[in-house]
Amino acid sequence: MDKPLNNKAWFFVLPVFFLVAISAIIPLMTVVNYSFQDTFGNNQFFWVGTEWYTDVLSSSRFHDALLRNLMFSGIILAIEIPLGIAIALSMPRKGIWVPVCLILMALPLLIPWNVVGTIWQVFGRADIGLLGHTLAELGVDYNYATNATDAWITIVIMDVWHWTSLVVLLCYSGLVAIPEAYYQAARIDGASKWKVFRYIQLPKMQRVLLIAVLLRFMDSFMIYTEPFVLTGGGPGNSTTFLSIDLVKMAIGQFDLGPAAAMSIIYFLIILLLCWVFYTLMTNFGVDAPEKEVD
Amino acid sequence: MINLQTRRNQTGAVSAGSLRFLVGIVVFIAALAGIAYFWLQSENAPNLAWMAWTKPTAIFFSIIVCLLLCMCIWEAFSPGGGPRTGILQFETTRGDRLFLSLLGSGFIHLAWLAFVGPDLWKALGVSIAYALLVFALV
Repeated sequence: MDKPLNNKAWFFVLPVFFLVAISAIIPLMTVVNYSFQDTFGNNQFFWVGTEWYTDVLSSSRFHDALLRNLMFSGIILAIEIPLGIAIALSMPRKGIWVPVCLILMALPLLIPWNVVGTIWQVFGRADIGLLGHTLAELGVDYNYATNATDAWITIVIMDVWHWTSLVVLLCYSGLVAIPEAYYQAARIDGASKWKVFRYIQLPKMQRVLLIAVLLRFMDSFMIYTEPFVLTGGGPGNSTTFLSIDLVKMAIGQFDLGPAAAMSIIYFLIILLLCWVFYTLMTNFGVDAPEKEVD
Repeated sequence: MINLQTRRNQTGAVSAGSLRFLVGIVVFIAALAGIAYFWLQSENAPNLAWMAWTKPTAIFFSIIVCLLLCMCIWEAFSPGGGPRTGILQFETTRGDRLFLSLLGSGFIHLAWLAFVGPDLWKALGVSIAYALLVFALV
């Protein structure tokens, strides 16, 4: 059936268009302008062409930060996704404990990101922090401020503590949506717990798992606040991710040109990831025939 | 074998509604540009030196705006976005294809800068060829 086209609806988009223009398009245009120029302040700019892009693309500083970001995202996904599935599987499906578990799971998600960083900063300190003090008492040489491995472990555990709940809640929503008839059929066939998970629960969770993987990847790839509050990018540059490096370059060193070029490259990477995310979300499973249960 | 399943509007003629929409878009952009121009020429004009405009970047953004206008005109002549399933095996509209072309062109230019050199005219040629391929096959 042909739907009549009514273009008057576009007028309702105008307020949003102006808001986006002020909050996103004009700043983006400015960043593009800055990325081709050098400045010493006082609104004086000098054309440098693509020099900043060449510098950023060939700088080990950018490569290292990008590698750290990818490594961090990989570690986070490798821990949070299996852990989230395991916790969701062990949560009760009915009864009084359901709301209790759900609230407990949701709690870390409600804490602002800078507060999470501060909590773990205090928690890990050997003099006043519970974790740091306990480890020191046990004879473990732990100091996230001076040891790069300790800093990485702390940031990873902090992120796992903060964001695994999201994976849990998504997986749980996928699990409770599975009709009881599937489990009954599996029981009649004498399927083991592993086979129920492999052939019923996992395929039924595919869509929410995809959302979880992509959300966590995007979030961890753009992480800024928590590691900035906890380690400030240190010790050395060991926890300097792209976003932290960008802020250091733009605000700390006032290198607006290179920072703008780096922003544009970072923006293009994020834009590509957003497109992959959107495409997978909108096309995954469309018209796909449902697999038979063994 | 690439299967291009097309279900675009085959009427060929521009409907009155689409034409009004197109004229509305053009009038709106012209009005906006006019207001902005006279405002910037007036005594109360804001100081936009912080935006650091240059001729090349202005041309770049003008081309983007022109491309979007061309897409509007195309939409007026052939409404519906021209959805089809190409080599990526999922449905794309011509807006998706423009987005892919622009995003891919950005990466082609960056790769050219990183691996070949600062002369980007050849990269522009590669990008145009890539965009044509995207519009033909995706």
